[in-house]
This record gives sequence, structure tokens and C-alpha cells, in this order.
Amino acid sequence: MNYIMRDTMGIIIAGDEKIPPITDIRSIAAMPIAGRYRIIDFVLSNMANAGIVNVGVATRSKYSSLMDHIKSGKPWDLDRKKQGLNILPPDLERTMGRIEGDLDLLAGIRDYIRRSHQTYVILVMGAGVYNINFKKVLASHKENQADITIVYKDMSGSEERELSRFTLLDINSENCVTDIEDKPYYPKTSNAGLGIYVMEKALLESIIDECSARGDHDFIKDAIAKKMEGLRIFGYKFEGYADIVDSMKSYYRNNMLFLQEDIRKELFNPKSPIYTKTKDQTPAKYGDEAEVSNCFISDGCIIEGKIENCILSRGVKIAKNAVVRNSIIMQDAIIEEGVELDYVVFDKEVHITKGRRLIGQECYPLAIAKGTIV
Amino acid sequence: MISKDCVAMILAGGQGSRLGALTKNVAKPAVPFGGKYRIIDFPLSNCVHSGIDTVGVLTQYQPLELNTYIGNGTPWDLDRNNGGVYVLPPYQSANAGEWYKGTANAIYQNISFLEGFNPENVLILSGDHIYKMHYGDMLEAHKKNDAAITIAVMPVPWDEASRFGIMNVDEEGKIVEFEEKPKNPKSNLASMGIYIFKYDVLKKYLSEDEHDPESSNDFGKNIIPKMLEKGEKMMSYTFEGYWKDVGTVQSLWEANMDLIDTPPKFELYEKHWNIYSRNLALSPHYIGSGAKVTRSTVTEGCTICGNVDHSVIFSDVSIGEGSEIKDSVVFPGAVIGKNVKIEKAVIGQNAVIGDGAEIGMTEVADNKYASAMCTHGIVLIEGTAVVAAGESIPKGSMVESQQD
Repeated sequence: MNYIMRDTMGIIIAGDEKIPPITDIRSIAAMPIAGRYRIIDFVLSNMANAGIVNVGVATRSKYSSLMDHIKSGKPWDLDRKKQGLNILPPDLERTMGRIEGDLDLLAGIRDYIRRSHQTYVILVMGAGVYNINFKKVLASHKENQADITIVYKDMSGSEERELSRFTLLDINSENCVTDIEDKPYYPKTSNAGLGIYVMEKALLESIIDECSARGDHDFIKDAIAKKMEGLRIFGYKFEGYADIVDSMKSYYRNNMLFLQEDIRKELFNPKSPIYTKTKDQTPAKYGDEAEVSNCFISDGCIIEGKIENCILSRGVKIAKNAVVRNSIIMQDAIIEEGVELDYVVFDKEVHITKGRRLIGQECYPLAIAKGTIV
Repeated sequence: MISKDCVAMILAGGQGSRLGALTKNVAKPAVPFGGKYRIIDFPLSNCVHSGIDTVGVLTQYQPLELNTYIGNGTPWDLDRNNGGVYVLPPYQSANAGEWYKGTANAIYQNISFLEGFNPENVLILSGDHIYKMHYGDMLEAHKKNDAAITIAVMPVPWDEASRFGIMNVDEEGKIVEFEEKPKNPKSNLASMGIYIFKYDVLKKYLSEDEHDPESSNDFGKNIIPKMLEKGEKMMSYTFEGYWKDVGTVQSLWEANMDLIDTPPKFELYEKHWNIYSRNLALSPHYIGSGAKVTRSTVTEGCTICGNVDHSVIFSDVSIGEGSEIKDSVVFPGAVIGKNVKIEKAVIGQNAVIGDGAEIGMTEVADNKYASAMCTHGIVLIEGTAVVAAGESIPKGSMVESQQD
């Protein structure tokens, strides 16, 4: 972090996609991922590693879990005397109790944006899984003299249904964005926007003011797609791994991929670490009959049974003769003796009593809500 | 300023020479322990859980790593507005300035630090013991007894009593006699090196001791006997629980093994008394498809592709396919190649063990690596040392790093 991006602020808009039952109690940004992390840790750490010292997190609803996770921003070194991390709850009075789109959230934090003294904004929407160097994105933005730079990934080879989850960009040979379609049913291109937008703060302010005066709600459809004519919009092609979590299917996949060595090495690169709130748990402990194969395991776990292809958060206990396969088990779950689990996603503190069998499918993992006792 | 009920002073200046290569570049309290901790995490965490929020750490030998580790005290919740943790090295003053001569002198040189907090009592601790203890209970007893000093003692096996400083006490727990390593012990209550002094009493004795040219300025050798001689009210406080001095390679290895016995001799999995430490930003650990891990602890950041049995694996260690690690302690960042065999060893931080190397598998009469530090056949590989591929390191070896 030798180069400090003092001229750039970060704004993160917590997504509102629903992945029941996990998002019943928290926003998608606060969903546990890769064992000890929350999804927001990736983008927050990327911003911190780029030296951004002013980050606003605009929340929509159910933000106590997110606030509890982020608190003062210490793990990201964002607890600063000036600026640092700011959690920005929605201004419901202003929007008369209704938040219909991300523009309403941006309008609600208009004062915070105005007060910030940085020239540029990196605006991030959606629960992204990536390890991206924002310094490079900003440098490209400046070099292109762009009004807006949109980070995208070429996802050619993906199924149409997969592509339809993204904001798709038509990009010409000069890297200019010529058309934007938000989650089209029939995708025409495989350039998937990652929900990362770079622009001058003044431009964002004018977009917010104009759109809220017109009663618009959607940042992409109402503001960017309609204003394309007069703006220099550039694409920044990201070559690394990237995805956005917006469904149980993508959630499951984006956890399981941490069992791949290349993905682990890329996303947990020691040169751009991913930070998270620490829990001071003891190391994980393995019993004399433990059998563990191809698993990603956090501190505080006690494993005496058999586990295969699993992602375990902190403090999970798996008793003797229990067999757990292909599953995501969040914090402090208790799996008793003789239990058999396959393709399950357990929220925190799930307790499975002796001998129970719960079997999901790869295309439809069995998800169980926080604190459930079976 | 609000005056403090009790301020703790941790003696962390010792070299720990019996730990051999482990303390070549770091002070003993900074030596890793238990998978993700340093030894000093134990007294620091005990302080925090006991409600003591002002702690001085007296450093002298190789203090850099320890200073960096403690930093501003955030990991232990010891970054406070009034109080917190302070690293206290020896310093120069207008007409004096010298190294800490002994434990008592180290505290004496920091009287002005204590004065700033104006405490009622001062808790003196060692930075090299592994245990969990509620100092608050001891402080309560100290106050209730209106003692000048309260000394924590623990019962030790009678046949080992002659290795300790033994306290002979009456039926109320009042200390009547102190014997350093007695040949024929009259009691099996060993001093744990944990003292609570009334602050004014401490000041008085430290000042007198300082002006005594005969004194070696040590709590055990000088201050305690002097107080007994003067008839001060000295009480014992009996502690029953796990306590270990990890002063030797063997005891450090043993104390690590104590964590993984079934049931463990020392239990760290207690949420109400967790040990805090400086956490690194590391991912969960990965256990590969061909790996087998039993009776062990593994910490975040590791990649384990071989077999690990009855071992303590610290953070960020990688173990290659086909390797077999048994009864060993592997410190952070060590890289162990493929098809390596290791038994009963302590592998130092960032040590590199080449493919096919064997450590602690053979006994050799004429061992060029033999070391008096490595008793009971334990092998010690120093941090950053490199063991070449295929090399065999016999039992009882100490392999030092070639780096300076």
C-alpha cells in the first residue's frame, strides 16, 4: 500500500437479492462465504488494499448483521479519525418508506457523497467474489479520460441463463461501451458487467440529482443506459476470477470453488489479502478417527467424523461416525454422531441430532435456517 | 486520572537460553505456542479476562519482534484511553541508565510508570508460562487478607518439588518459609512466579533492595526472603489447574502435545476464556484429497496434502503429498516438501524441508547436529533453516539457520 488513493472514495451498495433462508436475517453482502469470510470482505479488502480511506456502505434492510460484521472497520484498517468506513442506513423518510431501486439509496446518501472531498468514486453494486486491483481500474479510467468506466469480465462459454444474470455490455474495439442491457433474457454478448463503476464524484452527484428529480429508481436502466449518448463510457476488462452471488446456485458454486487450488491462490493472494473480522478461535482440532478429504476448514472446528468436499466456517463440530459430503456448514453448527449429510447448506448454529440423514442435490442444495434443530 | 485498583507488570526480558535456536532472534515470550499463539498471549489474555486493563511489558533481550507483536494492544483489547498495554524497555535518564539487572530491578526502573497510574496493587507476572488463571480471584483474596504480598502457588508432585521454589505455609495459607530448590522439601507448594504486592510495600522493598550492594535484585532471591525476615504479612494463593514453564525445548514440545491428548491436559476450547492473539489475514486451511489428519490441530492458512498425526500445525504451513508428520510441532510458515518423514520434532518458523528428507527417524552415535538443548530425542530445526532434499537428520539434533 505504498500509493494511497486519496483522490478516490468507495461506495458499496448492499444488494437485495434474496437467497432464502440465508438472507432472511441478513443482507446478501453479509452472507458467510469461504468459511471465515462474508461476501463484502472481498470488495472491502480490495478497496483497503488500493489505499482508499473513505468507504461508504449503503444498506437497504436487515443490516444489523452487516453492521455487526463491519463495526468500526478495523480489520480493513478503515477505522480512521477522518473518513474511514461509514455504514449508511437508508433514509426512509426521504423516500417515504419505499426503496425501489439503488438510485433511491444513492439519493439517501447524497449528503455523505457531497461532504466527501475525493474527486473519484468507485461505486460497487452486487455481492461480488473477486480479488481486483482498483488502482489499475482507476489508472485505466484516467488514461481513457472516461466519464464512466465499467469493470466487466468476458464470460464467453457460459450458458445463456448464466449470462442473463448480469448487466451485459457491447464493447467496441476501442474499449468503448456502445450498448448496455441489464439482465436481458436473450444475451447478445458475453461481456458481463461486475457491478463496478468508476466516475468523478461530480458526475455521480449530477446523475443522482437528475434522476431523483425525475422519479427514477434504477441506476443502470434509468441513469446509465439512458444517458449513454452524451457520455464516454469505457469497459475495463478484468481477467481474473469474478462472479456475483445472486442465487443459491451461484452461492453454492462460489463456495465450492475454494476447493480448487488455482482459485484459492488467486483470491487469497498474500499480496492483496482479504481481511475479515477475527474471532480469536482456537486452531481446528482433528480426532483420532477423523477422515478429511478435499475440505476448506476454519479455526475453532472440532472434527471427529468423516468429511469430504466441504466448506466449514468457524467453530463447527462434527462427531464420530458422522459423514458430511459436498456441503457448506456455517459457524457453530453441531453435527452429532451417525448423521449423514450430502449437498446441504447450513446457516449458523444448526444442530443435527444423532443419526439423522439430510440429502440435497447439487442443482438444489438443501438449505437450513439459522439455529434450526433437526 | 482515575487511579487503578491493580496494574500488571509482565517480565518479558529473559533470553530463554535453554530454548536454543528458538530464541536466537526473539525473546522467549514471543516464541510461538499452541498453533496460533505466542507465549505472551497467555498472561495478556489472563489479564484482560481478569479485568486488568493496564499492563506493562518489560522487555530487554531481542525485543523487536515482541514489540511489533504487541503493537498498540488491539488484539487483546488493550488499546485503552486510560491504561492499556505498554512496552517498557530499559532507558537512559539524566544521571543513570542501565540494563535491567534482575527482576526486581526491572520493576524498580519503572516505578515512575507505575506512579502515573497510582495503583493500589501491582501484579507481577512472568512472560514465559502457559496457563489460564483468574487474577481477579487472587486479587480478591489478597485484599480480603489485607496481605502485603500474595504469592500464587501450586501443588507439584513431591518427587519434583526440589526443582522449584517451595513455600511452606501454615493452615491459613500464611507463608512461613521460602526455600529455593530444597533438597528435602517440607511442602509441595511451588511458587508460580506470580505476585500481588500492595503498591506502597513494593515501592519500599524495591527501593531498599536497590540500595543494597549485596543484592542481585531478584524477587525470588532477595525481595521475598527480605519480606519474610521483616515479618510482613505474606499469603499464599493456591492455584489448581494447568500451569507449565516452557523454558526448555522439551517442555515447549510437551506443552504443545498436552493440547492434543484425548482428553487434552490443557483445554483451549473454552469460549469464556479464549486466548487472544494477533490474527493474520489468512484463509481457512485446506486439507487435500490424499491427506489424513488425526489427533492434531491445524491453523488457518495451511495446505495439508500429506499425513499428520498427533501434531500441532501452526498457521500458513504447507505439507506436501506423501509426507508423514508425527508427534511434532510445526511453526508458522514452514514449507514441508513431498515424501518427508518427521517424528518428534519442532520445526521453526519458515523453515524449508526438502522432498524426501527424514527428520528424527534415526539414532546416530556420531551426530554432527547433536545438541545438549535437544533432550529426549527431540529434533529442533531453527526458523528459516533449510534441510536439503533427501537429507536425514537424526534424533536429538539442532539444525541452525545459515541466514543471518
